[in-house]
Amino acid sequence: MSNCAVEVKNMTKVFSKGLKKSDYVVAVDNLSFEIETGEVYGLIGPNGSGKSTTMKVALGLMAPSRGSVKVFGFDSGDIRARNEIGFLPENPYFYKHLTGAETLKFCGKLCGFRGGELKDRIAELLELVELEGAAKRRLGGYSKGMLQRIGLAQALIQRPRLVILDEPTAGVDPLGSRQIRDLILKLKEDGITVFLCSHLLEQVQEVCDRVGIIFEGRMRREGPLAELIQINEQTSMTFAGAKPQLLAKVRDLIEAESDATIVEEGHPKTTLERLFISLSKSEKEEEERK
Amino acid sequence: MSQSPPSVFEPASKPVSPFSFGRVMVIASSSVTQLVRMKTFYFLLAFAAIIVVLMSLNPPTTPAGVLSTIKRISFGTMDIFAWLFAIVSTALLIPKDIEDRTLYTILSKPVRRIEYLIGKLLGVLFVIAVSLAVMYGICALALFSRESLYIAEELGAMQAGAQYSAEEVEAQIALIQQQGLRLELGIAVLASFLKSAVVASVTIFLSTFASSSLFSIIISVLIFIIGHAHTMATSFWLYQTDNSLLVELILKCVKIFIPNYQLYSFSHGIIQGEAVSYSLVWQMTGLTGVYLVVFIFLSLLVFIDKEF
Amino acid sequence: MSHFKKIPRTVVILVVLAAFGLTRAPFEDRLVRDLIDTKMVVPPPGMTVLDQMGQSALMATLGGLRPLVASFMSLRGYENFSEKNWDELHQTYQVITALEPREEFHWVNAIWHLGINATANMELDTKIPEFERKRRFFNYAQQAIEFADKGIDQIPDSVEIRKQVAEVYREKLKDWSSAARTYGEIKDLDGAPQYAERFHGYFLAKVPGREREAYDYLKGLYDKGADQHLPTLIYEVRRLEEILKIPYPERIPEADLNRNRARPQKPKSKPLPGGVIIP
Ligand SMILES: Nc1ncnc2c1ncn2[C@@H]1O[C@H](COP(=O)(O)OP(=O)(O)O)[C@@H](O)[C@H]1O
Ligand SMILES: [Mg+2]
Repeated sequence: MSNCAVEVKNMTKVFSKGLKKSDYVVAVDNLSFEIETGEVYGLIGPNGSGKSTTMKVALGLMAPSRGSVKVFGFDSGDIRARNEIGFLPENPYFYKHLTGAETLKFCGKLCGFRGGELKDRIAELLELVELEGAAKRRLGGYSKGMLQRIGLAQALIQRPRLVILDEPTAGVDPLGSRQIRDLILKLKEDGITVFLCSHLLEQVQEVCDRVGIIFEGRMRREGPLAELIQINEQTSMTFAGAKPQLLAKVRDLIEAESDATIVEEGHPKTTLERLFISLSKSEKEEEERK
Repeated sequence: MSQSPPSVFEPASKPVSPFSFGRVMVIASSSVTQLVRMKTFYFLLAFAAIIVVLMSLNPPTTPAGVLSTIKRISFGTMDIFAWLFAIVSTALLIPKDIEDRTLYTILSKPVRRIEYLIGKLLGVLFVIAVSLAVMYGICALALFSRESLYIAEELGAMQAGAQYSAEEVEAQIALIQQQGLRLELGIAVLASFLKSAVVASVTIFLSTFASSSLFSIIISVLIFIIGHAHTMATSFWLYQTDNSLLVELILKCVKIFIPNYQLYSFSHGIIQGEAVSYSLVWQMTGLTGVYLVVFIFLSLLVFIDKEF
Repeated sequence: MSHFKKIPRTVVILVVLAAFGLTRAPFEDRLVRDLIDTKMVVPPPGMTVLDQMGQSALMATLGGLRPLVASFMSLRGYENFSEKNWDELHQTYQVITALEPREEFHWVNAIWHLGINATANMELDTKIPEFERKRRFFNYAQQAIEFADKGIDQIPDSVEIRKQVAEVYREKLKDWSSAARTYGEIKDLDGAPQYAERFHGYFLAKVPGREREAYDYLKGLYDKGADQHLPTLIYEVRRLEEILKIPYPERIPEADLNRNRARPQKPKSKPLPGGVIIP
């Protein structure tokens, strides 16, 4: 037995589009990669590149046209494989007529939990995703972020060894996506393998150990994130309180070197995301002071 | 978020059994909740309204005749409500799960597709059983109140003149009671239930490949109607020799591919007051079970390959 | 598994359906026969009735709604009756009785409407020329008798159907011989009213040429005991004794005439209220 949580081998998925045999889409094309146990793996690629399809095949919601996907050594589609997986769908949909707690109860029962154990587990998870207050409300009235969080809670209900997250931060406000990223890190700490995908690099770069970049169904680059994005021959410096005279001196110094050039110069910008988070944090602190 | 104990994520998956009746029941009870919250039980109010209207009718006959009319119309209506409900609710349930993508959530849990199908069927059957019980209760109440009223009236009228022997009074009462509320009527309700169960399983099969709920509803109703022409088809098959090849082919197809719903008309005989043959009722129950197994199996054949 | 995948699912499904259909067919055929034999299922109506039924009724029958359709048709029958639309009523009842041939009640109603009400209407309706009225009178009575024959085929031991048609013979057609025959059938059935055996004799007595037969029968009843010594019976026996010129020693005694006066003849409950109703 290998140490792989997920093992995708030459997997191809073809969808037929019309009645004609020639009318088809290759959603995933001969894809191969492995996710090791305990690792956080991110599949990055633009919309329509085959990320969701790969995940659905891993869950057995679809059968691969060619190749195979194994989860902890079980064929995808095997009920024992699914027993180890917690899945958060792209747009989590549940019965709108159920409340948050009822949804978790339903999912827990499907995974074989009963009675007191189930009750404790539900309370635990509601606290984890901070939905204790909304537990008795119907999902019809939940916001997108709340749905995402209840979706995470139901994915974790049976204490899965592998968690598959399809675009966990899509459509969620930055604060919410920060919470989700914290949660992913927490999962990693506890030794749970996480397989997530996103079309936005920034949203996952902080949490992933390794990423694969997928485009038009094919793996383009794969490796540790830092390796993939660093530009080795360049260096950036940021000064605080530097007077124009000092900057002029630095410029002169660099121009004196024959093989070095200044590529970029300017004021660093805070990212909108960082600004938003720092603003809402300071608001919270003010509230607490009152 | 930070204060939650690390035990939350301790990998401790429960072992999973290849088939679990518990999971079937979870799906079944969720379908019941679904149907209840879709407010489907409101159709019982419509039924009650029909009974109220029926009770206000006064057809120009004897008390026994009135009872017989009430009985036949109310049980006939009950039967229609049961199978129509079976078709409509079953045709809506699975496509709704697909459309709302709740099926994703369910099938990504350790749940087998067969468990899902059986669960949905059991959920519908449970709701039908409860509805039939309620409708039977309403009918029984209506019938019994009329019956007691008539018996009291008849007793009063016959005893007023004091010219009838006890035997004759008894015979007259028996005449009324024969058309009134009798235990055997429960078997007629069972017939409706068995028929609705087959109808529901056929509709589940249709809805696994139908493109829309409306399609499954229409086809299921058509199958239902054709399924009542079985005996006619058989007699053509056996006795009519000068049929064209095409007609013969169609009749044979009907006989082989369409469920024989006509068998379930044995409720009519019971409602008319014929003696119940219990061995036949048992055979009908067994046959219904086989129908359910076969149609669930067929549904699975389609459903197992479905991609969501 | 890999072999299985290659066979298209549609084919597998059709094969399973066909195999299931062929396996269950003999069992179901036997079951239908048993259910029809035990009267739990009504056999499908014959072609002639199907022709008359009209599309909606036909669909409903096919859809297993027989009792419901029959009930609503009965209401229509009542409407035909209120409108004195007898020909329509005849058709309506043909459909009703085809839908529910085991329901005694429908046959009795049909005979009552046609044999009693329609004929009474023909006796009274002066708007129709005399000749036509007479012809229709006999037509309707004949239709009532046809219903009785078909009804008795379906429910061979029905007392009510015979009672109703006997009334038509007796009150409308004055066909004493048929009335006598019908009461004769009734008296041997379960649940027959007591008067049936006497009525058989009374109407037999009215048939010219059958006086001897009637006398023997009624005398037999008389000899059964004091129970039977009712005024009409004694009167009839006396009349026949006169006609047949029975020797005096064999005639019944004079004193019996007033014996049972304390116990008046009472009407048995009728299946329908009133004898003749004309709306
Ligand atoms: N059920 C389906 N039927 C047909 N085509 C599909 C289906 N699901 C996905 N596709 C196609 O497969 C490709 C990959 O889709 P998907 O895996 O959802 O992409 P991503 O999740 O990366 O955005 C797309 O071109 C999409 O149109
Ligand atoms: Mg996607």
